[in-house]
Amino acid sequence: MKRKKDDLDTLLREAFAAPEPAGREAFLKTLRPREVSTMQMLRQQAAYIRVPVWLFAALTVGLTIAGASVHLEETVRLMVMLMPFTAAVCVLETKRSERFGMSELEMATRYSLRSVILSRMIVLGILSALVLCICAPVLAAAFGGGVLPVGTRILIPYLVTMSASLAVERSPLGRKNGLLSPGIALVVASLSFLFGSYNPLLVLRYLEVLRSFGLPIAAFFLLLTVYEQWKTIKSVEAFA
Amino acid sequence: MKLSVDRITKQYKNKIAVDRISFALTEGVTGLLGANGAGKTTLMRMMAGILDPTGGEITADGVPVQTEGYRALLGYLPQDFGYYPEFTAREFVRYIAALKGLEKKHAKEKTEELLELVGLSDVAGKKIRTFSGGMKQRVGIAQALVNDPKLLILDEPTAGLDPKERVRFRNLIAEVGKETIVLFSTHIVSDVEHIAGNLLMMRDGQLIYEGPWDESRGDLEQFYMEEFE
Amino acid sequence: MDLELAYDRIYRYAYFRLGERAAAEDITQEAFLRFLGKYGQLREYDMRILYTIARNLCIDEYRRIKPEALPEETAEVPGLSVDGQEERILVRDALSKLPAEERELLLLRYVNDESPGTIGKLLKLSRFAVYRRLKTAEEHLRKEMEAEG
Repeated sequence: MKRKKDDLDTLLREAFAAPEPAGREAFLKTLRPREVSTMQMLRQQAAYIRVPVWLFAALTVGLTIAGASVHLEETVRLMVMLMPFTAAVCVLETKRSERFGMSELEMATRYSLRSVILSRMIVLGILSALVLCICAPVLAAAFGGGVLPVGTRILIPYLVTMSASLAVERSPLGRKNGLLSPGIALVVASLSFLFGSYNPLLVLRYLEVLRSFGLPIAAFFLLLTVYEQWKTIKSVEAFA
Repeated sequence: MKLSVDRITKQYKNKIAVDRISFALTEGVTGLLGANGAGKTTLMRMMAGILDPTGGEITADGVPVQTEGYRALLGYLPQDFGYYPEFTAREFVRYIAALKGLEKKHAKEKTEELLELVGLSDVAGKKIRTFSGGMKQRVGIAQALVNDPKLLILDEPTAGLDPKERVRFRNLIAEVGKETIVLFSTHIVSDVEHIAGNLLMMRDGQLIYEGPWDESRGDLEQFYMEEFE
Repeated sequence: MDLELAYDRIYRYAYFRLGERAAAEDITQEAFLRFLGKYGQLREYDMRILYTIARNLCIDEYRRIKPEALPEETAEVPGLSVDGQEERILVRDALSKLPAEERELLLLRYVNDESPGTIGKLLKLSRFAVYRRLKTAEEHLRKEMEAEG
């Protein structure tokens, strides 16, 4: 008998047909096989991020675009002061589980609470990055100064607030008190306001520094933030 | 399924909360009795995989407690839980369903089914913060059941329930217990007498009684009073 | 990955090594539990580990039941013509004359669609060796079939 090679797997499939495994369904049901990919996990947590967070991000972008379109010079400084609050909102959002007593429930689901919080951080990080990516070029286009210096100028207060808030929220004080992150944001924002109004020359000097070293400075604070996030993730689940 | 707890220990700096406890459970309802501070919650948290034991092992049919495979089998009601303030009962149960990896359509159906079962379907769209303690507890029970757990751990599930709710809860648990390992803690002896075929008793982090109540030892209520109060 | 599919593949593998439905299914489930207990979730890439667990379980079981070369009673294949049925018997007869290692290879590659990489990891062979042995097994099978037909 002559057969083509293509037939071989068909023939073998037929020859190796095994009787139906009787216990398959019952067994797999006990395993609950559904797996959830990282993407699904992110989408899921994104869906549960509260509306005010999105609104706040949208507001920031909206103000930027509005300010830029009417050439209001103060817009950049306003953004510098708004970004710490974006950071605070993100930190508060990350800490919601603990704040509202959902940690234990979330921990006992398929994922660890760690992955829940991590995905939340990623979603919020992406959101913040988006805000930055829209605001920086818009501001730079409207008021000059280059995307990079403007971008780092609004990014640095965000990162400072975020790393400080994460560190403080982990402390025993932060666990009891829900309003430390907004407090830190307020401090950072006021400082930048005072700094801005104190001496215009100083601001110019600062902008010069950013022009040359903005990227490494931002990178430093970014690393600090990531480090704080990592420590936050690590501290999760240890509290129980 | 067989749940086995093997020499499980939890030690804090100055105190042993759970001291080398071993037992095995199969399908059916088991009551965990003990006074406050006996280590019930610590034990249950370890069994729910949210607290790392200092020593010992917990496995369900060989699947260790630390794995996703184990958590997939688990339903858990903590002694004290909160909720995001904007959540309705329905959203709450669906959120947990999502975290348990239930497929969306299935999660929706299951949520409605369970809210019906715990008698909350008419207030499913209401915010949890408007609920009474007993209603909130029923939401908690619904979320624990959402993934058809093979192992159900309930920490003080009857706390805050009024007598009518208590009866409903007992019936529900008896039904679930036919195919599921149910372990619930309580300090109310009549809870155990009504629904638990099996009994675990803890004192000072140790297991002092295991198995169905031995009538020859007299009245359980009496025994409990003498032991704990 | 799809656990049902993985279950079928491991089960089929165990079944044709042991020739007993119940034993094969026990081994499949045991392998899954051991695997998931250790790794939590199954990805396609990890099939090699699952196979290895199942294979070792089969070897233990094998010593106990000493099965026939090929299970006598296998499933009906629905929709096969009379010719098809005859052909199937012919292939089965030919298979039963092959060494067990070659049957294992053919099953893994052509029925379970495992990659040569996975098969190599399971049988501790290089990919090249897997290809070579597959070729040999195919030739043997053809020869046996020609001798029969």
